[in-house]
Amino acid sequence: MRIGITSTVLALALLQGGCAFEPVQPWEKDLLAKRAMQLDGYPIDQYLDDHIYYSKEGSSGGQAVGGGGCGCN
Amino acid sequence: MTEASSLTRNKDHWLGRFQAMASPCEILMEVDDRRLARRLLAIAHAEASRIEHKFSRYRKDSAVQRINHSDGQPLVVDEETAALLDYANQCYELSEGLFDITSGVLRRVWRFDGSDRIPATNEVANILPLIGWHKIIWRRPKITVPSGMEIDLGGIGKEYAVDRTARLIAEQSDASILVNYGGDLYVNTPRRNGCGWFVGVENPASSLPLAEGSESIHRFELRHGGLATSGDSRRYLLANGIRYGHILNPATGWPIEDAPRSVTAAAATCTEAGLLATFAMLRGAKAEFFLRTEGVQYWSAR
Amino acid sequence: MQLKKESKSVRGALALATCSLLTGTSQGVNAASEEEWEVDSAVLFYSEGSDRVSVVEPVVGLRKALGDDEYVGVRLVVDTLTGSSPNGAIPTDEVQTFTTPSGNSTYTAEPGETPLDPTFRDTRIALSGEWEKPLSERLKGIFSANFSTEHDYQSAGISATLARDFNNRNTTLSAGASFSQDSIEPEGGAPVGLTPMPEFPDVKETQSASEDKTVSELLLGVTQVVNRRTLMQFNYTYGIDDGYLSDPYKLLSVTDDTGNVTGYLYENRPDERSRQTIFWRTLHHLSEDVADVSYRYYWDDWDISSHTLDLRYRHELGGGHYLQPHVRWYKQNAAEFYHFKLDEGAVPTYASADYRLGNMTTNTLGLKYGFASSEKQEYSVRLEYMTQSDDDGQFEDVDAVILQANYSFLF
Repeated sequence: MRIGITSTVLALALLQGGCAFEPVQPWEKDLLAKRAMQLDGYPIDQYLDDHIYYSKEGSSGGQAVGGGGCGCN
Repeated sequence: MTEASSLTRNKDHWLGRFQAMASPCEILMEVDDRRLARRLLAIAHAEASRIEHKFSRYRKDSAVQRINHSDGQPLVVDEETAALLDYANQCYELSEGLFDITSGVLRRVWRFDGSDRIPATNEVANILPLIGWHKIIWRRPKITVPSGMEIDLGGIGKEYAVDRTARLIAEQSDASILVNYGGDLYVNTPRRNGCGWFVGVENPASSLPLAEGSESIHRFELRHGGLATSGDSRRYLLANGIRYGHILNPATGWPIEDAPRSVTAAAATCTEAGLLATFAMLRGAKAEFFLRTEGVQYWSAR
Repeated sequence: MQLKKESKSVRGALALATCSLLTGTSQGVNAASEEEWEVDSAVLFYSEGSDRVSVVEPVVGLRKALGDDEYVGVRLVVDTLTGSSPNGAIPTDEVQTFTTPSGNSTYTAEPGETPLDPTFRDTRIALSGEWEKPLSERLKGIFSANFSTEHDYQSAGISATLARDFNNRNTTLSAGASFSQDSIEPEGGAPVGLTPMPEFPDVKETQSASEDKTVSELLLGVTQVVNRRTLMQFNYTYGIDDGYLSDPYKLLSVTDDTGNVTGYLYENRPDERSRQTIFWRTLHHLSEDVADVSYRYYWDDWDISSHTLDLRYRHELGGGHYLQPHVRWYKQNAAEFYHFKLDEGAVPTYASADYRLGNMTTNTLGLKYGFASSEKQEYSVRLEYMTQSDDDGQFEDVDAVILQANYSFLF
């Protein structure tokens, strides 16, 4: 098999308006791998926020299960 | 020495072309400046030619030929050759000995020209003693190749050239660029519109170039990463109703049984894609199973 | 050659080898964090002003890779709370006198001042452990246990979450469950709900010396890599609290026809609560900066419902320095049994004047400054200002300042 790029690529570039939805490949996850892009990149901030709002508001939870109770509410 | 290259402007990119490593080579560059395009093309052309000359089996002055003519004497190799030999060694281990850069000597008896001339069993058997990476003493930076044995970096060279070129170009420009050396590709970054480059893969069953829009072209988008193909539908032998593909098993000297006609794989780099495709081919009937298990995006043709 | 982490996969080993070939770097660059502990530490100061609650809370978390995506972690938290907390009674024109929960003494509230219970001080120690383990190629389990103790409160809980990757690891489905068993030994015993606060030296009518409750939660979640720069999460949670859910120290003022306070009752909440949330979060990487947006809708069978919107924008200043403004908006509808005060002769089955169950809005504004001096070492400090106000204009605003310093490193 040969990849017929010479004419094909150009013709397709004209034909195809938008791009297809392609799954993100493993090697494209450099940005997602950063600490700032992790859902639990800052677990202590998360823990302390949850703790504060749990003790000051009538609602709690949503992000994860567990975490521990306290007598503050 | 270096053949001419051409540069043409297409709708929103420059297309540079030249011939190297016995293949048509192309660079698609999403840049506006003609001078920049020309400079990038020159870099690509020089790098492809450099690698071709350095690792060619056919040039007397190439690093590979010096190794192959070392007559069993230890030879000190340069850093780049050493890195490739290290890599070949790792590939040998990862493929459990199936990927072997010493198996090129089988070319003496196997000529995949579409005919029915398969070699005699003893012809193949006579070559086998000259095959086996483990028989080569590789102690960086010294290599000792027993007399009569040869190494061939052809299974890595073109893909390596694609990645090397892409790296050199990236030092000059962060534009989206597609490097295509004879069907082995790499795209550094998505295009300005966020899309990739659209690439068509021909159906190997057809030996004629296909028209755009043909059902036989699988088209897809290459946004970022490498793409390489192992296998060639035009290189085979047909004897007694059996099709002999050109991927040879270094342990037996005979073609790998039940291998796909070709495998195209996608990976982070072109080199990695090329090796994944080759490893798959070397697994014969289990090629697709291997690729699926490893989670590789691929297209195979049987 | 160090291929330990990727050794199971030919592709992983090949990727490392290829990277080494093309970049000229030596093998084993990824070996780092295997032998080291990741330490994440912080200290939080929380203050609602001079005579109100203030908290000092140091936290330290340790995490270690055991290889092959397996991790263990522990976290220790100590929080020390001092100051006074609203007891639930309303301010009046006169000096009000209250009996302390222990029944040993009294405290007063000046005219026009929100009555605050000054006996409120406590130290809480919480310890938790977590174990994250790959169960198969695409399945991961996260197991945790936690334990905390205060002078009048104990909690012990466990949780398990399973996460399965699909679609080239771009989609993750999670299912989790947690259970905790808490017990409370209120100062002076647990009062019988809606009985009057006694006048010192009388003692309150108690139902027991200790009470307990269980908290069970289920979670179903989807995490989706939308593209190279965007990650999205959807969760649904369902929880049931069962047992003693009242606050044994909270009172309600009872007033007569003319509005004069005639007494105080201990609050009484239902002994079961089922609650649900839907949660959506998106992280988006711009060219350098990261936007983090989340929304939660919460509702329960006490008739509390709430909206929470949280926005964080991490702005990279270069060289590892960043600034992250934070805005949080929370709006809550009151529990059906929430009463700012009760009218004499109209005492319902359940009642609480705890402002945290009322109609209210919380606004938080914050700014975090961080400096990541390397991939694995980061300092940060954040300052937040939180204000809680009554949507019915009844209870006094609660304003709090939060100051937190973090330091994380490899050990």
